[in-house]
Amino acid sequence: MNRVGITGFGVVSPIGVAREAFWQSLADGRSGIGPITRFDCSAFSVRLAGEVKERVDLPGDDEIAVVAATAAVAADDPKIGFALAACAEALEQAGIERLTRDTLLHLGVSLEVFDMQKAICGGRPDFRSIAERSMRPGAPPLQIPLDTASRLIAQLFGMPGRSLTNCSACAAGAQAIGHAFRSVRAGRYTAAVCGGLDSMINPLGVGGFQMLGALTTDNARGESACRPFDASRSGTVLGEGAAVVVLEPLDAARAAGKRVLAEVCGYGSTLDAWSLSAPDPEGDGAARAMLAALDDAGIRAEQIAHINAHGTATRVNDEVEAAAIRRVFARTWQRIPVSSTKSMTGHLIAAAGAVEVGACLLALVMKQVPPNPFLNSVGQGCELAHVGHAAVPFDGEYVMSNSFGFGGQNVSLVLRRCDG
Amino acid sequence: MADVVATGVGLVTSLGATADETAAAWRAGGCALRRPVGEFDGTALAGSETAVLPAFDASARLGGRRMLKFMSDAAVLGCVAAREACSQAATRRRFAPGRVGLFCATGLAAAGVQDVAPLIEQSTDEHGRFSCRLLGERGLPATNPLLSFKILANMPPCLVSIQESIKGPNYIFTPWESQSAAALVEAWQAVAEGEVECAVVGAADSPSNPAAFVFLRQAGLLGADECPADGAAYVVLESAESAARSGQPVLARVDSVDLRPVSSRPCDPLGNRMGRTFAAAPMIWFALACLGCGATAAVAGSSFVCPDYAAPGSRWELRIEARGAA
Repeated sequence: MNRVGITGFGVVSPIGVAREAFWQSLADGRSGIGPITRFDCSAFSVRLAGEVKERVDLPGDDEIAVVAATAAVAADDPKIGFALAACAEALEQAGIERLTRDTLLHLGVSLEVFDMQKAICGGRPDFRSIAERSMRPGAPPLQIPLDTASRLIAQLFGMPGRSLTNCSACAAGAQAIGHAFRSVRAGRYTAAVCGGLDSMINPLGVGGFQMLGALTTDNARGESACRPFDASRSGTVLGEGAAVVVLEPLDAARAAGKRVLAEVCGYGSTLDAWSLSAPDPEGDGAARAMLAALDDAGIRAEQIAHINAHGTATRVNDEVEAAAIRRVFARTWQRIPVSSTKSMTGHLIAAAGAVEVGACLLALVMKQVPPNPFLNSVGQGCELAHVGHAAVPFDGEYVMSNSFGFGGQNVSLVLRRCDG
Repeated sequence: MADVVATGVGLVTSLGATADETAAAWRAGGCALRRPVGEFDGTALAGSETAVLPAFDASARLGGRRMLKFMSDAAVLGCVAAREACSQAATRRRFAPGRVGLFCATGLAAAGVQDVAPLIEQSTDEHGRFSCRLLGERGLPATNPLLSFKILANMPPCLVSIQESIKGPNYIFTPWESQSAAALVEAWQAVAEGEVECAVVGAADSPSNPAAFVFLRQAGLLGADECPADGAAYVVLESAESAARSGQPVLARVDSVDLRPVSSRPCDPLGNRMGRTFAAAPMIWFALACLGCGATAAVAGSSFVCPDYAAPGSRWELRIEARGAA
């Protein structure tokens, strides 16, 4: 069994495009949440999101047609461009120019962007007319399938040995990394490019979550509207972006002179089997994911020195996660610093887990854990050793990232400090 | 590595509403009935027929209607097939929920026209254009909030986990045949390597849904002479030792599941007779092999060559070695 190191990380997020900007915002407690500008949401009760505000340059290539096609797709579906940019940054840091048949590509993504205008003919969803229109030469595709980012990555960066697309909702990005970790550890691939991408900041995405009551309507709070574990939390805020990590066998990476940023050493994946919209009230699924990750890493709960919580800022989820953490870390929870970075990024859904693995990775590298800038009064049942309004120095060895998906899919990952 | 066996199979296909019906029809050389797509006038398409699913009572097979309101067409098919497979293998009685893994594939997201029609009609202005303002003012209030559950891609497998009380490791891959084949490989490995005691592996897809159907034709993924077919298959895998220990009848020994790149043309060995079931197809093919259909028709011993749209130009050949218990 190989030990598995992270040799590259790339990110596009509401708080910064690329690693340095992302980390600086995290460390400074700077929020990327603000009014929605992507579409007219004036008639929606939800009017906030974490949008990627900076321009995201698509990676270049000699094949102009590929880049042009990529840009066209990315214009229709912004998450595609986010994924390509994050992938380019991660591969560059890892010193990998082309994907090969020995590599795995595994991305998590949640929902197709469905342009409702394409489904309207004569004021209603008239599929006869839609079919006619769609079959005309040059007509735009009716859908952008979820594996589109993977297809374009293969075109731009080379064909991987296997390309997987998983759709495990809010756990998808973390699950992609967990699966890739297991695959590299087992020696099935010499490298894995993995992570998540998402953007639901569109009328149907925001509208759908608004209907479910998962998003805060406390629009007046602006940048501080997402307040995980706070007594006044009132729902999550959608974000968008992508994060990609490159995993390689640790010894091989070191032998090749690469810098190993951190080691991935544990992965746990469970299902609540409870409800489509709410977590198991006892936090059983979440707790089992954390325990499975600890077991997989071969460490005791006492060895975890920092947790990046799933922390969505919804009433029930935060309370359940806090209870699960207290149960798993019964002897140490009062001294494990917990950061909930969705307070700054918003909830990136399928990309959330990968972005938060990135936050853990950078916490290890930068020797600081991110703050909780809008946590003022800890909610009842949410008691944990939450980090305050400022980042704190950190030299712990093991960190955990939690991702708990809508529908009851839970993932925990354990990372280990790996200096050099 | 443990020896892997199949102890439960569930199928809902255009050839039959149960595993036995489908296998019997397959062995008899049956073909799906076809009819023009019912939810819209598809005459603008090169081919507008879909395969007909046999009638079945989902609420009776799932033990109630409570969860049906959350389910898309694909979710209903998946839950019914999973219930058949898990009941046959007695998974609830024999395994701790946390030791059962769920390995699934889903197809293109596809809410029914009846689900999205009110949303679209209420959100369209007098010029026939979609209006965000009208969506907020009229469209969302006129829409059943449960629509979200029907279009999120992970919901069909999550419903299976709830219905069958499956709480272990899990993956949901999407949206094509090669991803379904990958779920099968993961499931087999998880049992063989002891990560789980039992793997419930399956897929459901509803490519006859209008939005999916039109896109498949538009993208050239469905040939003019091919018709889409909704369908689902679930199989329960466990170690031979586990089955023997509890006296559970074995349907088939699954000696290997291998997915490897090939250069040969894509080949869905079920497509001509059953219709194209896309994400569900490799799983249906595997389920038929576990039912011993290879003895009378070309399932076991043949291969399923999946196009890989995520890796342009590449193909995956899914090969399985499954032997009937007898």
